[in-house]
Amino acid sequence: MCAQPVTNTKEVRWQKVLYERQPFPDNYVDRRFLEELRKNIYARKYQYWAVVFESSVVVQQLCSVCVFVVIWWYMDEGLLAPHWLFGTGLASSLIGYVLFDLIDGGEGRKKSGRTRWADLKSALVFITFTYGFSPVLKTLTESVSTDTIYAMSVFMLLGHLIFFDYGANAAIVSSTLSLNMAIFASVCLASRLPRSLHAFIMVTFAIQIFALWPMLQKKLKARTPRSYVGVTLLFAFSALGGLLSISVVGAILFALLLISISCLCPFYLIRLQLFKENIHGPWDEAEIKEDLSRFLS
Amino acid sequence: MACRGRGGPGQPPSAALSPVSPGSLSASRTSAHNICMVSDFFYPNMGGVESHIYQLSQCLIERGHKVIVVTHAYGTRKGIRYLTNGLKVYYLPLKVMYNQSTATTLFHSLPLLRYIFVRERVTIIHSHSSFSAMAHDALFHAKTMGLQTVFTDHSLFGFADVSSVLTNKLLTVSLCDTNHIICVSFTSKENTVLRAALNPEIVSVIPNAVDPTDFTPDPFRRHDSIITVIVVSRLVYRKGTDLLSGIIPELCQKYPDLHFIIGGEGPKRIILEEVRERYQLHDRVRLLGALEHKDVRNVLVQGHIFLNTSLTEAFCMAIVEAASCGLQVVSTRVGGIPEVLPESLIILCEPSVKSLCEGLEKAIFQLRSGMLPAPEDIHNIVKTFYTWRNVAERTEKVYDRVAEEAVLPMDQRLDRLISHCGPVTGYIFALLAVFNFLFLVLLRWIIPDSIIDVAVDATGPRGTWTHQHPHSEDKVEDSGKCKTR
Amino acid sequence: MEDEQSFSDICGGRLALQRRYYSPSCREFCLSCPRLSLRSLTAVTCSVWLAAYGLFTLCENSMVLSAAIFITLVGLLGYLHFVKIDQETLLIIDSLGIQMTSSYASGKESTTFIEMSKVKDIVINEAIYMQKVIYYLCILLKDPVEPQGVSQVVPVFQVSTEPLPFPQCNPPPVLSAFPPRLFFSRGGNLCGQSM
Repeated sequence: MCAQPVTNTKEVRWQKVLYERQPFPDNYVDRRFLEELRKNIYARKYQYWAVVFESSVVVQQLCSVCVFVVIWWYMDEGLLAPHWLFGTGLASSLIGYVLFDLIDGGEGRKKSGRTRWADLKSALVFITFTYGFSPVLKTLTESVSTDTIYAMSVFMLLGHLIFFDYGANAAIVSSTLSLNMAIFASVCLASRLPRSLHAFIMVTFAIQIFALWPMLQKKLKARTPRSYVGVTLLFAFSALGGLLSISVVGAILFALLLISISCLCPFYLIRLQLFKENIHGPWDEAEIKEDLSRFLS
Repeated sequence: MACRGRGGPGQPPSAALSPVSPGSLSASRTSAHNICMVSDFFYPNMGGVESHIYQLSQCLIERGHKVIVVTHAYGTRKGIRYLTNGLKVYYLPLKVMYNQSTATTLFHSLPLLRYIFVRERVTIIHSHSSFSAMAHDALFHAKTMGLQTVFTDHSLFGFADVSSVLTNKLLTVSLCDTNHIICVSFTSKENTVLRAALNPEIVSVIPNAVDPTDFTPDPFRRHDSIITVIVVSRLVYRKGTDLLSGIIPELCQKYPDLHFIIGGEGPKRIILEEVRERYQLHDRVRLLGALEHKDVRNVLVQGHIFLNTSLTEAFCMAIVEAASCGLQVVSTRVGGIPEVLPESLIILCEPSVKSLCEGLEKAIFQLRSGMLPAPEDIHNIVKTFYTWRNVAERTEKVYDRVAEEAVLPMDQRLDRLISHCGPVTGYIFALLAVFNFLFLVLLRWIIPDSIIDVAVDATGPRGTWTHQHPHSEDKVEDSGKCKTR
Repeated sequence: MEDEQSFSDICGGRLALQRRYYSPSCREFCLSCPRLSLRSLTAVTCSVWLAAYGLFTLCENSMVLSAAIFITLVGLLGYLHFVKIDQETLLIIDSLGIQMTSSYASGKESTTFIEMSKVKDIVINEAIYMQKVIYYLCILLKDPVEPQGVSQVVPVFQVSTEPLPFPQCNPPPVLSAFPPRLFFSRGGNLCGQSM
């Protein structure tokens, strides 16, 4: 809106500076307006099958919860003998333990510096304590109504699924909270089983499936992706089969859930990328990329 | 006891008494505007927006316009006050929510603001700062009342996080039917146009200014045996205090004659103190704490180099003030800073410790080899760049343009809200606009505009009280007191 | 010598200003507002009674009706005696001082007298009053200890909630009785009350 018109015949180039009085109105819009605008510079390109592969972590965790509930149901109905479950659990734990070291050739063990003796000790301590306290577990929730117990278990298992560390870098992720919620749910459910031996075996099984199994999974996924896919499929089918033996409708719904998570959700994620408009430019707040704490340590 | 007013209301009593009417300037202008500046931020609060409003108002009054300022009450400072040259300030009793910004319901401030707009015969509402809820409220009410609106944006915003997405949406709503927008730099203009989805034609760029007479160099105040780096900013993350905590030890180890003087207060002061403690720099790094605006110059003239480590900045008055005092400026290349000073007066660096250290080393080298121009020369260059008179002149052109534009009538305003702000937000705010209008109709029915009395200008009825009146001196003294209190 | 003018107050009501000049050093300003109109009285009473009757049909307690009658009567008496001002008079005698009299609708009168030696100045002040910004006339009293200071601010012409008739002429006629010693005060004390 400066009053003086462009009088000189030679072309005056507009400059993006404030300290010079330029012969352009204040609301002049140059061709170079917004030329420093960048869009989606940090956006990632997704491959469909890669996303499907990544989604298997969620599928695995859903299946873990499903298997746990199915096993509990069998125990509660008395269709599954506790000795048998304990034997199977022990055997698979041993196989998993051997596999855990075999996959990376003992590298992880060397790095952490943990001896086998230490592992055995902690396993023994855990089993002894759980066994000793299982009568207490049994009577712990006697005064609480069964419906409350079920509701609590449902919430805790949901919480476990929500806070589980799927590999996302978000504030909500907390693997300790997630594990604790799962164990709490297992204690709640175990207390409704007929005998204290049942309760002990149920809690041990919960530890195996919620604490140890994801660790093995993580290693499998990093080292041998092919076998990981196989394991996931196998696990998903066994969970489905177990659920099918209890409830057909439940199994169908669960199958739909798994399919939508592993196939539909990745598809949507990739489709929605087209609408992404992340704007960057000189007005962005600069980020301090270096670690400044070294000056203070 | 001559009864001057005996003649009664019909006869202009002051015309005979004031041969040189102070209104002569305004009388000669065809377009003197009645401007109302609205912002939550005003004196006694200190900062860039506050001084912008004050200085701009003073220059506009000088140019013959009538200017009033509306802000919220600060502690016991409430009611109506006068500052220098009869700048009338309304401190309204509205509740402060967060960071000196009032709460907004879009309605509660309407009765008072309407009363003020009517009694002061305001024609143009000029709101300042997108952080100020009151400014947005005033824009909303002004549009309902059919007044012309201007908005000045003083800040930059990102687009990445949830909070900025929400504030940007609100800004879109607030600015979609505002007549004109003023930004303080070209980067700020680009930012505002994107944030509020505006037509760039209705956005003007008018930089801030500094009063060059307040920032004059004084080379005798600095010790030439040592090199002093000055930093004046609030000590917060956005001003890059973390970077400063990396630069100080790095350079102090390299240059034994380097001293730092840091003015300002803030939550990040603690890390500077830790650095000072850890590297035993108590005699070389001075932390002055909070500075009053009048003391800034006395600090600036003690140094050779001014360092600005801001991570985001729309205009950055600090570097202009420093350059005006004759210091070599080293700054980060963020926001509108590259537009502010010519390359000969500023060394621009990336916002990292390494780059800023290199920039400072370059400045130190130039200083030692005597390549830097004398402070007086720098001052003489800088003082021509930014003056408030120029800002006022350009703002006046915006007012002239706006005054000729038509304010959207209610139906078109609703259409615009719905079409411009997205389906959900658009309908919500269109509904609110309708409610606001109904509220205004109710208020007009309770107190019609015709019975609201017109406020007397600070110059008195028909300019009686200026210049030849003995009490006008009282008034100026009085306002001086107001300012400092 | 006497003249009369009518103005509107800040709420749009009518006010009559009478000026009487007894002598160059003695004059009187008398501000009177219309008496309580029967119509508004009836309207208020009826609405209160209707509300009470509505409440009565709901809870079927006749106490409500008697309470309503009692409340209206007491309210009316209180209003006439303490709130409704019919007339405010300002008598200025140059050598003596200022006498302010307000007479209420019930006939009650209250009088304040300010010695001329105590008066420091007369100012028109602006204040935020509820959701309005108003002008009011007030007398600044000298501080007996510190002659430069102001000890008290006495508002004149309060006519209850309608503080000052400020017509669309400048300066207002009441002020023109005084020498033009008007300046803007900082609006300190009073706006505190009125907020």
